[in-house]
Amino acid sequence: MRLVTFLQEKLFRWQSDGTAPLRLGQRRIFILPSRGGLLYAMTLAVMLVGAINYNLALGHLLVFALAGIGVAGMVHAFRNLHGLLVTPGRSAPVFAGDLAHFELSLANDRASPRFALELAAPGSEPVIAAVDGKKDAKINIPLATTRRGWLALPRVRLSTRYPLGLFTAWAYLQPAMRCLVYPRPISHPLPPAAPSPTGGDRRGDGGRDDFAGFRPRQPADSPRHVAWRASARQADGGSLLVKQFAGGAQVDLVLDWQQTDPGVDDESRLGILADWVLAAEAAGVRYALQLPGQALAPASGEAHCRRCLEALALFDA
Amino acid sequence: MSTPANAALDRLATPWLFACALASALPHVLHQPVWLSLLAGTLLGWAFWLWQHDRRLPGRWPLVILVGAACAGILIEYRSLFGRDAGVAMLVVFVAMKLLELRSRRDAMVVVTLACFLLLTHFFHSQSIPTALWLLATVVLITATLVRLHGGPACTPRIALRHAAVLGAQALPFMLVLYLLFPRISGPLWGLPADAHSGKTGLSDTMSPGSIARLAQNGDIAFRVRFDGPAPPRQKLYWRGPVLEHFDGTTWRPFEGRRPAETLEIISPPIRYQSTLEAHDQRWLLALDAPTALPDDVRLNGTLTASSRKPVSERRRVSLAASLDYRFNRDEDPAILRRNLALPPGRNPQAVALAAGWRNAGREAILGKALALFASDFTYTLQPPLLGDNGIDQFLFQTRRGFCEHFAAAFVVLMRAADIPARVVGGYQGGEFNPLDDHVVVRQSDAHAWAEVWLPGRGWVRVDPTASVSPSRIEAGIADALPFGEPLPGVVQWRADWIRTLRFRWEALNNAWNQQVLGYDPERQRQLLARLGLPDADWRSLAIALGLACGILAAGLLAWATIHRPRCDPALALWHKALRQLARSQVDYAPWEPPLALAERLGQQRPELADAFQAVVNAYIAARYGKPGSNLETLRDAVARFQR
Amino acid sequence: MLKDAFSAIAGSPRPFDPVLEQAGRIILGKDREIRLAVACLLANGHLLIEDLPGMGKTTLAHTLARLLGLHFSRIQFTSDLLPADITGVSIFDRDKSEFRFLPGPVFAQLVLADEINRATPKTQSALLEAMEEGQVSAEGQTRALPRPFFVIATQNPSHQIGTFALPESQLDRFLMRIELGYPDRVAEKALLAAGGQRAQAEQLAAVFAAADLPAWQEQVAAVHAAGPLIDYVQALLDATRRNPAFQHGLSPRAGLGLLAAARAWAWLAGRDMVLPDDIQAVLPAVAAHRLRTTQGGGPALPEDIAALVRSVAIP
Repeated sequence: MRLVTFLQEKLFRWQSDGTAPLRLGQRRIFILPSRGGLLYAMTLAVMLVGAINYNLALGHLLVFALAGIGVAGMVHAFRNLHGLLVTPGRSAPVFAGDLAHFELSLANDRASPRFALELAAPGSEPVIAAVDGKKDAKINIPLATTRRGWLALPRVRLSTRYPLGLFTAWAYLQPAMRCLVYPRPISHPLPPAAPSPTGGDRRGDGGRDDFAGFRPRQPADSPRHVAWRASARQADGGSLLVKQFAGGAQVDLVLDWQQTDPGVDDESRLGILADWVLAAEAAGVRYALQLPGQALAPASGEAHCRRCLEALALFDA
Repeated sequence: MSTPANAALDRLATPWLFACALASALPHVLHQPVWLSLLAGTLLGWAFWLWQHDRRLPGRWPLVILVGAACAGILIEYRSLFGRDAGVAMLVVFVAMKLLELRSRRDAMVVVTLACFLLLTHFFHSQSIPTALWLLATVVLITATLVRLHGGPACTPRIALRHAAVLGAQALPFMLVLYLLFPRISGPLWGLPADAHSGKTGLSDTMSPGSIARLAQNGDIAFRVRFDGPAPPRQKLYWRGPVLEHFDGTTWRPFEGRRPAETLEIISPPIRYQSTLEAHDQRWLLALDAPTALPDDVRLNGTLTASSRKPVSERRRVSLAASLDYRFNRDEDPAILRRNLALPPGRNPQAVALAAGWRNAGREAILGKALALFASDFTYTLQPPLLGDNGIDQFLFQTRRGFCEHFAAAFVVLMRAADIPARVVGGYQGGEFNPLDDHVVVRQSDAHAWAEVWLPGRGWVRVDPTASVSPSRIEAGIADALPFGEPLPGVVQWRADWIRTLRFRWEALNNAWNQQVLGYDPERQRQLLARLGLPDADWRSLAIALGLACGILAAGLLAWATIHRPRCDPALALWHKALRQLARSQVDYAPWEPPLALAERLGQQRPELADAFQAVVNAYIAARYGKPGSNLETLRDAVARFQR
Repeated sequence: MLKDAFSAIAGSPRPFDPVLEQAGRIILGKDREIRLAVACLLANGHLLIEDLPGMGKTTLAHTLARLLGLHFSRIQFTSDLLPADITGVSIFDRDKSEFRFLPGPVFAQLVLADEINRATPKTQSALLEAMEEGQVSAEGQTRALPRPFFVIATQNPSHQIGTFALPESQLDRFLMRIELGYPDRVAEKALLAAGGQRAQAEQLAAVFAAADLPAWQEQVAAVHAAGPLIDYVQALLDATRRNPAFQHGLSPRAGLGLLAAARAWAWLAGRDMVLPDDIQAVLPAVAAHRLRTTQGGGPALPEDIAALVRSVAIP
């Protein structure tokens, strides 16, 4: 097995290609007959024997023409990959168990299209793409995720059988791409909310849900908020009144590692926390996350949610 | 090879396979039994219908039953499953059957492979130019099918066909090189199946009333001749086939058995010529009377017929010579002479009696009487009435209508009855001169039979009774000799000038095709290699030459594939020149590094280069990034100065 | 990178050199940042300065306003600041029985929005809408802002307590975001010796009148950007969209901003054409706040931008 690895490294120069765009040169491209190609070669051999045996001049010509087409097809298969510009893209974070998608961009700066480019990472379904002339195409390589943390894109095999299917030309790509895998959420009821120290002083701004009474108008208040009827009822006829609203009770959730069931393993506890983060975000409340040795201040919004999940994904238990 | 070879076939790729199967199998309709064509057509139609209505393909069992039935049919038709024609029939059935089993790309590859095989089998029947063109089109179609199969739905028919045409064009040089240099082996590698060369037309080795008339209705070419000098007049062109000595009352047959060699006295200087014989599966070479020089494997068989050791089972080119005036076997074996006087006892009493009355006259006079008889009121026709047991009598005294075999047979019977040794000679007479390529074309319609009589002191002398009946047959050809309405082949009958010119063109083209393309054999290959400076090339040097040539071609193709010439701004080209100079001065350069930053870095690293390079940078940014219209001269000068 | 941009190329005179030079005497050791700020104004864009308090953000804004002769106003953003505090209010005039509009501090030529991330998003967006549209819509009436109109906003680093980070969509409205950073040793000593620069800034005389600025801006907009340079900008934009280090790429609007900023930068260097050097010089300021890193989700760091530049060959 170690010999195989050694050979692969020497032969195919398996090493990371980094994040820079990569142009497929001839040294990267390998080519071998496919099974269809072997069948074709065998057919041609039998046909040649037939042509010789029956002394068919046109038979010779036919066999040689088909052989020539095969050779040209080999060069075309090579050409289908040659000069292709592969640029690593980005990959959106996913939850463990979902498919991670690694985006590669294939740019074709030739005028002729490139068909049937097949991209496959080990253990994933191949993705087939075609790139028109002078265009580029974005391809997502799906990869199954099993555990949280960084998932690096393994070596990708870019292959093609176009045009004739008689030869497989392929190149190995190893762009430095990785995808963040969040812990798989494990459904669990949210812990009870604790009133947060900052919750109280946020009353009076922002919210529009609950009517909270009147206050005298200040110059900066919008005329739209003036409660004309209430102002008219004012006995002294002095200042105008403005409706005052308050948002829902601002209660901060603290999602704490300690609150999770200590009986289950660490990964499951992280899964429960991930579920809480999602539930809290969906409920629109502010939430904080506390992990051993790490704490995120209460906030809400997509960015905060992402930060929390990221902390969970990379938590070093 | 982790990619799935048995990827499902996309729906729109299937019609391509139908087209492939149809194109490769269609010409076989001409050669195979009707029921087979119908079966294959039905299967194809079925497959198409299923595809059109998006129905499920039939399961395994119906197909197995169908295959079994088809095999049984073939077995009954050909009495074998493995002969040449039976094999082709099987292939046709398999291709049609596979269309009902098209599920994956692998199935499609099988269809394509079978189609390639089928293409080859057409050459059993014809290697003509139209066949070649049809096959060329089919090869492009098959290639386009492969392209479409592997290109996926994004590959439109136009792209697929264009790509196939490109592939075909690139394959041509390979094809030529392989055709010229691939070591040629002549002859079969092993015993051919019995029916390997079936279905050839030509003169047979027996003659009965009507047999030549039937042949004469065929316009196919029997052989082509090119004389080294001018062609002799056509009435002298007697191409000798079998000599028929034994007569049983209806049928003439050659005498089986050994006979002494001819003694031939040549009177006129020999004429050299090359003859290209179409395959006729007999051993005679149809040499011009009388042959004087023969190829190695050809002998005269005692009756002046040049015969080859092996039957002519495929087109053959021979170099021959002939002397038109000759004396042949002045001293003939008495046994042979006796044999040539034999008549079936009790048959044709009237004719025998007539000739017996002439016996007292001189031999020349007897000949004259017989020919005068024919000249009186006999009719030369392709459609003679049927004759009974005493056919010669019936012909001479009742019907008086006949074709050359009737005249020749009747003449020989009269001669034998008059005690003059005589025999029938089969062969061809005349031929058509094609001025475009100086070839004389002899067709099956030129098939002829004449007589030969033995005269003391003169040997065997040719007497053509047909000439007495219809002199124009000998002087101008069969089309002039026969009235309009006789079932002559169209190719002979249509004689408008433009048609004839067209035909000459076409035949000259065909001849060139036959000679230059199809006639390329080991001998020709040796000649070509000798001309290329490789005399006595054995297979090893051939293989080296072949490998070299293919290698050069492949390298050219690869260069075409890898060269990617971007349109380059001249300012950028000059800039790259300067950068190369920089690299020679051990200054590396990153492709993302902008010009001013590079100049500044150079000022720190290599101050001695900085000034010259700053000039280059200034000129470069003005030329490349400045407003249009700036001239390149400054940059060119700066780069030149920097390089110094 | 700075010095090369100064390198003498025959071209137009550099009328802004006195501005840069005088500002450099007030804000010590920050030539590059000053130049970026001036380029931002010349490119008709708004500037966001992000740094800790006390790094000279306000002084920079003051200095530029005085040197360019712009009418200056300052809004200190706080958490209880209301939109009307910026845009202005309508006062009910009892005598005339109607509302009279009192223009807010945003009606100035150069507005310093100090600590913009202390205010609520609602208030922030009031300013940002004014920036975007060049007008203020309050109480059903639209009022045009003066011309030229610049906003220099300062914000504290977002991890500070009690801040509302500007959403990404709002950040896009700033052409550039710069960080001043600590002064170097020499500059800091000089600063300590002089005892603060704010007072000096107040005494600066205007180099130009506000009315001159549009003419300069026209010149900047006319700086030539050749095809290969456009290719380079596009390649850079494309790279941001593909680079796995970023969550998403730069928008076409950001691309236009990049080009405009590079034009101003080239013009300041006395060139009438944009070079890849100019693009690279302004790229961190123009791009960093518009990009979010995949890891951490914060704005792109200088290293990320440098890596991005290195991944794109100049066509």
